[in-house]
Amino acid sequence: MPDIAGDGPEEQPLFSERPDWTDVTPVPQYEGYNPIAPIFYTPQYKDATDYFRGIVKTNEKSERVLELTEAIIRLNPAHYSAWQYRYHTLLAIKAPLDAELKLMDSLAVQFLKTYQVWHHRRLILTAIYSPPPSNASGLNDPTATTSSSAKSKPSPESQAAARTELAFITRVLMVDAKNYHTWSYRQWLLAFFDDVHLWEGELGFVERLLEEDVRNNSAWHHRFFVVFGRGQLQGEEDRVAVLKRELSYTKDQIALAPNNASAWNYLRGILERTGTSFSNLRSFVEPYTKTHEDRLGDEEILDLENPAPSAEAELPCVAALEFLADIYEKDAVSKSVEIWKRLANELDTMRKKYWEYRIKEALKDVPVQS
Amino acid sequence: MSDNPSPILRPTPTDGFPSLTSLQQIATENTLKNRHPSAALPTDTKPPEAVLQRNQHIQFLVRNLIQGFPARYTSQDASQPWLIFWTLQGFSVLGVGLDEKNKKRAVETLLGLQHPEGGFCGGPGQAPHLLPTYAATCALANAGQPGEGGGWDAIDREKMYDFFMSLKQPDGSFLVTYDGEVDVRGIYCLLAVATLLNLLTPELIAGTPEFLATCQTYEGGFGNASFPGWALRDDVAPGEPAIDPTSPRPPLGEAHGGYSFCALASWVLLLPYINSYPTHSPSLPKPSINIHSLLRWLAHLQGEAIELGGFKGRTNKLVDGCYSWWVGGCVGIIEGLLAGGGVGVADESPENEAAGEQHDDGWDDVDDSLYNRKALQEYILYAGQHPAGGLVDKPPKPADAYHTLYDLSGLSAAQHRVIPNSKREKELLACWTEDEVKDPVEGLRRDTFAYALSWLEEEGASKYVGGAQNRVNATHPLFNLTVTHAENMMAHFYKRDVPSRYRTKLSK
Ligand SMILES: [Zn+2]
Repeated sequence: MPDIAGDGPEEQPLFSERPDWTDVTPVPQYEGYNPIAPIFYTPQYKDATDYFRGIVKTNEKSERVLELTEAIIRLNPAHYSAWQYRYHTLLAIKAPLDAELKLMDSLAVQFLKTYQVWHHRRLILTAIYSPPPSNASGLNDPTATTSSSAKSKPSPESQAAARTELAFITRVLMVDAKNYHTWSYRQWLLAFFDDVHLWEGELGFVERLLEEDVRNNSAWHHRFFVVFGRGQLQGEEDRVAVLKRELSYTKDQIALAPNNASAWNYLRGILERTGTSFSNLRSFVEPYTKTHEDRLGDEEILDLENPAPSAEAELPCVAALEFLADIYEKDAVSKSVEIWKRLANELDTMRKKYWEYRIKEALKDVPVQS
Repeated sequence: MSDNPSPILRPTPTDGFPSLTSLQQIATENTLKNRHPSAALPTDTKPPEAVLQRNQHIQFLVRNLIQGFPARYTSQDASQPWLIFWTLQGFSVLGVGLDEKNKKRAVETLLGLQHPEGGFCGGPGQAPHLLPTYAATCALANAGQPGEGGGWDAIDREKMYDFFMSLKQPDGSFLVTYDGEVDVRGIYCLLAVATLLNLLTPELIAGTPEFLATCQTYEGGFGNASFPGWALRDDVAPGEPAIDPTSPRPPLGEAHGGYSFCALASWVLLLPYINSYPTHSPSLPKPSINIHSLLRWLAHLQGEAIELGGFKGRTNKLVDGCYSWWVGGCVGIIEGLLAGGGVGVADESPENEAAGEQHDDGWDDVDDSLYNRKALQEYILYAGQHPAGGLVDKPPKPADAYHTLYDLSGLSAAQHRVIPNSKREKELLACWTEDEVKDPVEGLRRDTFAYALSWLEEEGASKYVGGAQNRVNATHPLFNLTVTHAENMMAHFYKRDVPSRYRTKLSK
């Protein structure tokens, strides 16, 4: 029962003091030896995990196991065995899984950075919307979690569930916009339900996040996943349109804040993925490789396709120079070498060794001139 | 332009366009730049010295090992073998040996974590899991030995193999535990253990290189897993690949330093298998990863001078001491791959190694590293050490067991160059007779053994910021064990007499 005065399990009596647990024999962690590097647990944690070991030993799967595992998880959300045992218990006693998801809503926000909270959600969703075939060997069937995908047409219930889930993840990302597990889970969710309506909303979502913080690399990665992950680029026309849209979006973001590695990596990524030559971007990139002073002499043409760096941009931009050197590498390697030397000795000295390596590699492929 | 002894500590450009990322970046730079030796300090303050506080760190480790960990380490209750591994390996990197009594206690504690069904658990009575299995095995490489009470022969290898196989997925990946998640950390842990304990079979690793390749993202680094659903074939005959190689398997999660280390180290452990295609595999095309885009991404993760040259774990994130190992160590592996030439196969012509020299136009290649080793050592020495002992993510964070090991391992990787030595590889290949390797599986084991143990410290290539007093031991880039510990353990489990590294002249 929740205690009005307290909000933590600290307020609960120990399992060893509870009459409804007297039939369980707690199992201490170490029996018969003096361990090295022990942890000094709180009495609550020691109590709960002693009873957990007792339960595991007798293989009990019951309602009270849910209470016990929840108590442990709240004290240590990284206790993967408590999660695993909880999952098996839920299935064994046919507990309502929607209630479990509700509970997970609060736990996920509280223990954002733990693998297990996200993985447990995934198991529960999978169990609800894609139950493993009844002839599966049992709870320990390891193939049940990843091999079953919602290949058949999604049902209205699963569509609704996926939408609810996406909205939940969105709220969590508002708290921590770069949380690795949350993002990874969002990507899995999209792929698992694979519902065209879900995919459709994602670009707008990414754009909102990048409007908040254009340097959020997780959002850029998500964009790539959404645009290219599904491998939808079937028809040539579609491919061209998508590339055009992505190039235009990325150039705009680079123009806002040119020294943003995330945007440049994305630009390279879409070019490589679509087999587009870097040289196509030459007129976009060049203004970013010059100082403001040097740009004064350039003719100012309003080029909507190639937005220019802002007045506050710190130029020359190292990422642009690197890009330009890559353009030159194919047929004007001496120009590449010139840029790399400048990066190595002046503009990006931390990576001196890397730029020197690039020079060495590029020259290795050139036949010795006589 | 010559090397400037006190570089200008230029802030990362924000282009007059601040965002949460750039604000956090600036705050971190403001903390870190005060640790830089060139920082303007009051005249009566001594500039910081680049000294490894060896004794404080040893005391920190001793305290953890003997007295134990305070209650806040309850979050590591399911990582108990890790606490032991981080501590024991920390000693090894610092060149400290453990006394027999504590070795015995460590072995006893570790064996208490072995699961009756195979593999090791995060704590007594917990479920077996790939991550603790790696930590316990590597801790045993440090503290154990063959024979009664030594721990090594008490590892149930058959059950461990069955445990590994029970986690195998149709896409070549592995769950980390029953109903657990798939991710490349688990795969690395499995492969490191399978290599050390001689458990590799083609059956175990079929499809795993292909899976690893799918985790590489457009940035060049690796994410934590990939989505298999679209590529899974429903009805496949036994022996047929369960994956359609033409279907997309997009990476889940962005490029990340920790996952990239795990993916690359896994890939390299699998190289002898990959090079044997199609001997053991159904006629699938030989998988590949893009080393050049990986290297580019890794190089760009090194922070600027104002961040003391520490490594970040992802693009546009903050520097953190543990990435000294995950990212710095990962670059170290690439250096080994590029230096090694024909990977996994003994190079027949060691004369042609200096291919780059014919174009030498004055570039002074005193060392062959691909990142700024000097700066990384400075980050660890100036920003990574906690005054009360132990090492940290970044100031002003407290020291912890995890960062203590990975900062020290990163320091080791930045000091030494450990790369494949083809002469050594040949010597190790000769530990098998031609008759023995008529069985292709035994041939794979031999090649794996010889290649993994051919990674040796290159003599004369070590560099120590702050002088040789700061030297720590070299560590094997694929296992994070000393070469000696890796070699002893593998010699035992492959039942080979390994010729002494010191007796043979291993110069190039
Ligand atoms: Zn860290």
